[in-house]
Amino acid sequence: MAKSDITAAKKAPFVRFVKREGMKKRTVALYYICAVAAALLIGAVILACIGVNVFDYFGKMLTVGIAGSALPLRQIENYLNSFVPLVITTIGLSLAFKMKFWNIGGEGQFIVGAIVSSAIAFGCPDLPAWFLLLLMFFGGGICAGLYGLITAIFKVKFGTSETLLTLMLNYVALYFLAFLGNTQGEWNIFLNPESVRPIFGKFGENAVMPVIPLGGFSLNITVIVAILIVVLVWLYYGKTKHGYELLVVGDSPNTARYAGMNVGKIILRTVFFSAFLVGLAGAFRVSSMGTLSESVTNDVGWTGVVVAWLAKLNPFGILLVSALINVLQIGSQAAATSYMQIDANFADLLQGIILFIVLACDFFIRFRVIIRGREEKPKNEGKAEKEEG
Amino acid sequence: MSNETYAIQLNNITKTFGSVVANKNVNLSLKQGEILALLGENGSGKTTLMNMLSGIYQPDAGSITVNGEPVFIHSPEDSKRLGIGMIHQHFKLVDVYSAADNIWMGMPAVKYGLKEKLSAEKGNAGETFSVKSKRFFKKAGIVFRAAFFRISNAFLKKKRYAEIGEICKRFGFEIDPAKKVYNMAVSEKQTVEIVKVLLFGAKIIILDEPTAVLTVQEIEKLFAVLRRMKEEGHSVIIITHKLNEVKAISDRVAIMRKGEYITTVNTAETTEQELTDLMVGRKVDLNIERPVTDFDRPLLEIRDLTVKNDEGANAIDGVNFYIRGGEILGVAGIAGCGQKELCEAIAGLRKIESGVIAHKGENIVGLSPDKIIEKGISMSFIPEDRLGMGLAPSMSVTDNMMLKNYRERKYRVPFLKLKEGNEGKKSFRLKRGFVGFANKAIAAFNASCPIVDRKKARASAEQIIRDLEIVTPSSETPVRRLSGGNVQKVLLGREMLTQPNVVVTAYPVRGLDINSSYAIYRILNEQKQNGVGILFVGEDLDVLLALCDKIMVLCHGKLMGVVHAHKTSKEQLGLMMTGSLDLSGEAKMGFAKDSVLEEAQHG
Repeated sequence: MAKSDITAAKKAPFVRFVKREGMKKRTVALYYICAVAAALLIGAVILACIGVNVFDYFGKMLTVGIAGSALPLRQIENYLNSFVPLVITTIGLSLAFKMKFWNIGGEGQFIVGAIVSSAIAFGCPDLPAWFLLLLMFFGGGICAGLYGLITAIFKVKFGTSETLLTLMLNYVALYFLAFLGNTQGEWNIFLNPESVRPIFGKFGENAVMPVIPLGGFSLNITVIVAILIVVLVWLYYGKTKHGYELLVVGDSPNTARYAGMNVGKIILRTVFFSAFLVGLAGAFRVSSMGTLSESVTNDVGWTGVVVAWLAKLNPFGILLVSALINVLQIGSQAAATSYMQIDANFADLLQGIILFIVLACDFFIRFRVIIRGREEKPKNEGKAEKEEG
Repeated sequence: MSNETYAIQLNNITKTFGSVVANKNVNLSLKQGEILALLGENGSGKTTLMNMLSGIYQPDAGSITVNGEPVFIHSPEDSKRLGIGMIHQHFKLVDVYSAADNIWMGMPAVKYGLKEKLSAEKGNAGETFSVKSKRFFKKAGIVFRAAFFRISNAFLKKKRYAEIGEICKRFGFEIDPAKKVYNMAVSEKQTVEIVKVLLFGAKIIILDEPTAVLTVQEIEKLFAVLRRMKEEGHSVIIITHKLNEVKAISDRVAIMRKGEYITTVNTAETTEQELTDLMVGRKVDLNIERPVTDFDRPLLEIRDLTVKNDEGANAIDGVNFYIRGGEILGVAGIAGCGQKELCEAIAGLRKIESGVIAHKGENIVGLSPDKIIEKGISMSFIPEDRLGMGLAPSMSVTDNMMLKNYRERKYRVPFLKLKEGNEGKKSFRLKRGFVGFANKAIAAFNASCPIVDRKKARASAEQIIRDLEIVTPSSETPVRRLSGGNVQKVLLGREMLTQPNVVVTAYPVRGLDINSSYAIYRILNEQKQNGVGILFVGEDLDVLLALCDKIMVLCHGKLMGVVHAHKTSKEQLGLMMTGSLDLSGEAKMGFAKDSVLEEAQHG
């Protein structure tokens, strides 16, 4: 062996990563808070460069525009109206993700739910309100579920990639919605018949989501439903046979088959539920707005994927993360109204920065970095053992 | 002693994974030209230690010396440069490539001595310009040739088969260089790995459980190879659990226990009993018991069973056999001759082409896996990766406990009872009809209970953790965090909890250390004494001979015969496994005298 070859391996590497486990929850939370703060700081620098009053902007943004608003309660309603679709969509997507079924067709399923429930709203506006609403919700949910089921059937029967199929079906739904919004005709019940230009019509009174008046504030019923769904899904994972089957299939389909589970059936069922919830979110959305629009999804199908992963697919985590992400989005919109230089797209920019830093932070939570010559002393280990004991 | 240079010296090596200490202050030395056996229970950190030598992990503390020089091994590349070659437990070969291509892929650029030629062309002071320029062109030529060889090496050449075949012969191996890896037997794959390592110029060779998947004959061959390598001056570290192999091959034995180095002894001066005691840390009884039971009637009878493998060839071909209650039937055979397919067929996981599988006289062919589980037939197959079938690795021990009985939780609505009455009356018949109908509805309702019973599962998890001495932080720890032996105990423990009447178990001690293996034999014997019929697919003939009542031998999916364990020998089994001896022609081999099936047909 040549001597030079040995010297090549003589130095310890400059940095190396060691896996770590058993971090305290409080420390982990602190890491994440620091990460978000760092991201906001970067955002602040950018804002300062454009010449925006950073404190005023963030003050408006982080309070979703409540601070200094003439109608603070309206702002909260506004906030909740976009919060609900995000939560329900994300919960829906996470159901499939838990089973390692990469349903990225949230946009499409949301739109299908919205279109079908709008069709019911426009088609039979004279039904009693409670019945019409239920019909809209279940109609929208079930049709979206079936839309998602297409992918699942192909996956189970032929082993096709669900990622590709759900992705492409998004565009089918999206352009169908555009077609409905731009094509006037006798048959098109979605459009306002009195308008010369094609505009989506308004729902009849019966098809609009009822609200619970609390003083000046009107609480949309869907908020309660959304929280209920979160709890139900949490119970579904932890307490039910279906949920258990879902987790086993996600972990190891072979093991599931071995245990006598019908893997195909479980996949179909779960994907249906997943798409059903996303469609339900769509139905809730149009019913709350009282109309259909081409930008009905507000990109929740995409945002939902991000939220689901940030929350590690935990239902209550999803509730928390979507609340925070929504602050960012609605807050940026609200703040943007007072600054001409920047528009709501700044939210996307900031979201990107936050995501990037949080993911980086995730890495440091899972690994410890050791720099050459600065090895951690064994003293630390002794301490840890004492603490455990 | 200190004057001698060691091939490898490890000083105070410590390695932790999170809070788990895999190696703690390990000292180990390998002499030049010796075979050192590394012995230890599962999870004692042998593989981790060796992975630090092969550059997969880096130690947290401690130092490594190779040939007297202190080194840091950052990567497998470094390890290769230092002349260390490791043959892993799971072969690192590309299945769809041929033997030659697998070897070719990692082949170092052949230098043809160009480096030496280049350094020989050193200029002298005061040369004329023409000499200088000549030398320059010569040097450029050599560099160009080196580059050319490097590039041409990156391509597959037509003559590679011949070249690699030649190299194999030089090392004394016989392999077909054009054979694709997926067509190879395990021993052939191992040979390819060894050739690869030798070709890279390894002087120190580490083998991680090389014999776990080989037959007796193949092990002999491997040992011959190792002995020859030793004669040629290679130093070898071999990890194995089998004490007879340790005695047969090694010069010295290093023993580890729970991540710590215990001692090194000379093989010639020790006994199997002493090694076991050192390894386990207490006295261990090395006899496998074979309790005598009263055999029951045949529980599982299999007639003319034919099953296809994934490629569509007959994996099990017209096999007859039966298992009685209270008996362990061993299955011997070279790896991959239909064992897996047989197990899957019995568990209902594989389509049965033809034949009968009768459980207590009732044909179970075509039933779904969950129906077969309900009948009390348990199947546990430990695949090479240990986690592939039977466990959900990311889920907790508790969750894995209820894998097979999670459906059992039911509502407890009581059934309607019929009062004794006048049976002739019409009203009574009506009532009876109604009660029968209502009870069916209640049963359906009870079964529809959507809730799982985690509390019960947790209790079972805690029970088997206690009974089988499973090492785990808690019953909520994901199974994949446990070491191999403990994973297997979880699997078998669960199977026993379901109180099966037929247990099909394949390789339950695969890769397990002595202590855990004996724990598993004990579990199987307990089941046997409870009247359970056990089909034991095994690898180690010694164990099969000691544990089983009868042994059936498979060769390429065909039954070679069923023999009584106390009337046969390893040699006879070996001959049957390779197909040289076929006893299946004997009258009614594999048919029970008191078959339940015949009775059903005749009476």
